[in-house]
Amino acid sequence: MRAFWPIYKRELFAFFVTPLAWVLITVFLILQGLNFYWIIDTFATRIQPSDQTPLQAFFGNTVLLYLVLFLLVPPMTMRLFAEERKSGTIEALMTAPVSSAAVVLAKYAAVVTTYLAMWLPTLLYLVVLHRAGDVDLEAAAAAYLGVGLVGAGYLSIGLLMSAATDSQFLALVVTALAILGLFVLGIGEFIAKDGTLLQAFCSHVSVWAQMNDFASGIVDTRRLVFDATLIVFPLFVATRVVDAWRWG
Amino acid sequence: MISVSHLVKRYGSRVAVNDVSFEVGRGDVVGFLGPNGAGKSTTLRILAGFLGLTHGTVSIAGHDVTTDSFAARQAIGYMPETAPLYPEMRVAEYLAFRAELKRVARRDRVSWVGRAMEQARVVDVANHLIGTLSKGYRQRVGLADALVARPPILILDEPTAGMDPNQIRDVRSVVKELGETHTVLLSTHILSEVEATCSRVIVIAKGKLVAEGDTKDLGRMRGTSATLVTVRGRPEDARAALKGVVGMGQVRVQPDPRTPASSAEEDRTCSFRFLARAKDEAGGPALVERAVAALVQAGLFVREVRPAEGSLEDLFAELTSGRRDEGDQATADATAGGGEGADA
Repeated sequence: MRAFWPIYKRELFAFFVTPLAWVLITVFLILQGLNFYWIIDTFATRIQPSDQTPLQAFFGNTVLLYLVLFLLVPPMTMRLFAEERKSGTIEALMTAPVSSAAVVLAKYAAVVTTYLAMWLPTLLYLVVLHRAGDVDLEAAAAAYLGVGLVGAGYLSIGLLMSAATDSQFLALVVTALAILGLFVLGIGEFIAKDGTLLQAFCSHVSVWAQMNDFASGIVDTRRLVFDATLIVFPLFVATRVVDAWRWG
Repeated sequence: MISVSHLVKRYGSRVAVNDVSFEVGRGDVVGFLGPNGAGKSTTLRILAGFLGLTHGTVSIAGHDVTTDSFAARQAIGYMPETAPLYPEMRVAEYLAFRAELKRVARRDRVSWVGRAMEQARVVDVANHLIGTLSKGYRQRVGLADALVARPPILILDEPTAGMDPNQIRDVRSVVKELGETHTVLLSTHILSEVEATCSRVIVIAKGKLVAEGDTKDLGRMRGTSATLVTVRGRPEDARAALKGVVGMGQVRVQPDPRTPASSAEEDRTCSFRFLARAKDEAGGPALVERAVAALVQAGLFVREVRPAEGSLEDLFAELTSGRRDEGDQATADATAGGGEGADA
């Protein structure tokens, strides 16, 4: 695991040295800023009181959050392994005394760090809200935990897709499809018959319902277990994939 | 330092390396010679711990590459073919990253990176972006990377590929210098490169080891190269006459560019390249004499007899001929081996 630190640093460097990173961050912050602006505008001009807080509206019950993740995650993860395999640098990397697990974890940690750094400026929205009224900080913490975990899960899937192919474009497309698929499965909660296994399954994997819960300050362990699975399982498979194209 | 025994690598049904065994001793500079697609890169990748093997054992400085891969990789400085590097990094930055990755202690990193840059002669581009460097410089940055953790063994996959003659000379002299302190295994498909830098040579073709010995032996092997004879007359007659000579090995038609295809029947010439049968005492100059006599006897006119220039292809033809049945099929195979398949 001693290889973790140098690879982690290099990945961060490689991400922030490319224009792609700054384009993604800019687009992300513009979209989130617009989203926030509309929510505040609606709340400010509303005549009847709402049963939602602005925070709940920002993180839960909105498709915008997923749209952003859907646009953001695939281009962040596509290059992780695919680029190195295409350019051949993976050969130099893997012939150094490093373990497959260290490589996978370092790359993953770097991309999660980047993802969290992107969310960091949005904490300013809390400051804005705080000046206009009360903010439930626990609910806010839960909401941020929620986006952190959901994003981490998506990034893990993206990393796996990047490890499975040497084409960045293919990794991008398959990751986007996987994220979309997961979202659609969650919609199944409202479509499947009540009480059936399918409905139970869909509600368990529903990222939508999860974000609604987290945005209201409800942190359910079942959600945490699901998120942990979403993070750990693809990482584990990715490690095996790296081992496979290495020793296969 | 490097011990390979009965190494086999299969990709699906294709056998890339077939039962190869060799040893490289401490301080040797060994050339790994073979045409493209012979399995050189595959073998080196297995030694470097990038690819798994199908059968056999490989040990690097006493560490088995499959069971003790970490220790084996730590003993090696490996430079992959085409030296892949991160284009967005600066040379010194990249080497510092590689040094940290290869577990060079923090306090040594700066000085070891500096030393590797000196050895590989890239000090003048230390602060350049790798993406802006020329091919020759990139190749040398790859070499500096191989050197940076001061491993006892260097494995260099085609270190001079794609360079101009000056750069090739530079790299060869660097490799020669390194050979005094390191065990070096370098692959190439250029015969003169081996003669210029290596003390020993291992020749591989189509995944099989075909020869192994001192570079001096290689010179001798080249000395016995083929004879080229140009005759005027019917090619079939000439071939038949040559085939009938005692001690004759391979005979193959050599296209003759000097004769236009439209020239009159009686002016048409054809060339043949022939080899003495391996281990045949009646070979050598005596064979040439007998061949010319046979051609003249068959009513053909001999226009030219000269030794064919020794090329790697000839060497392979010679080396592989001893292990095959003589005849056209074997000749065709030996020639085709030169350009067949991608270097995996």
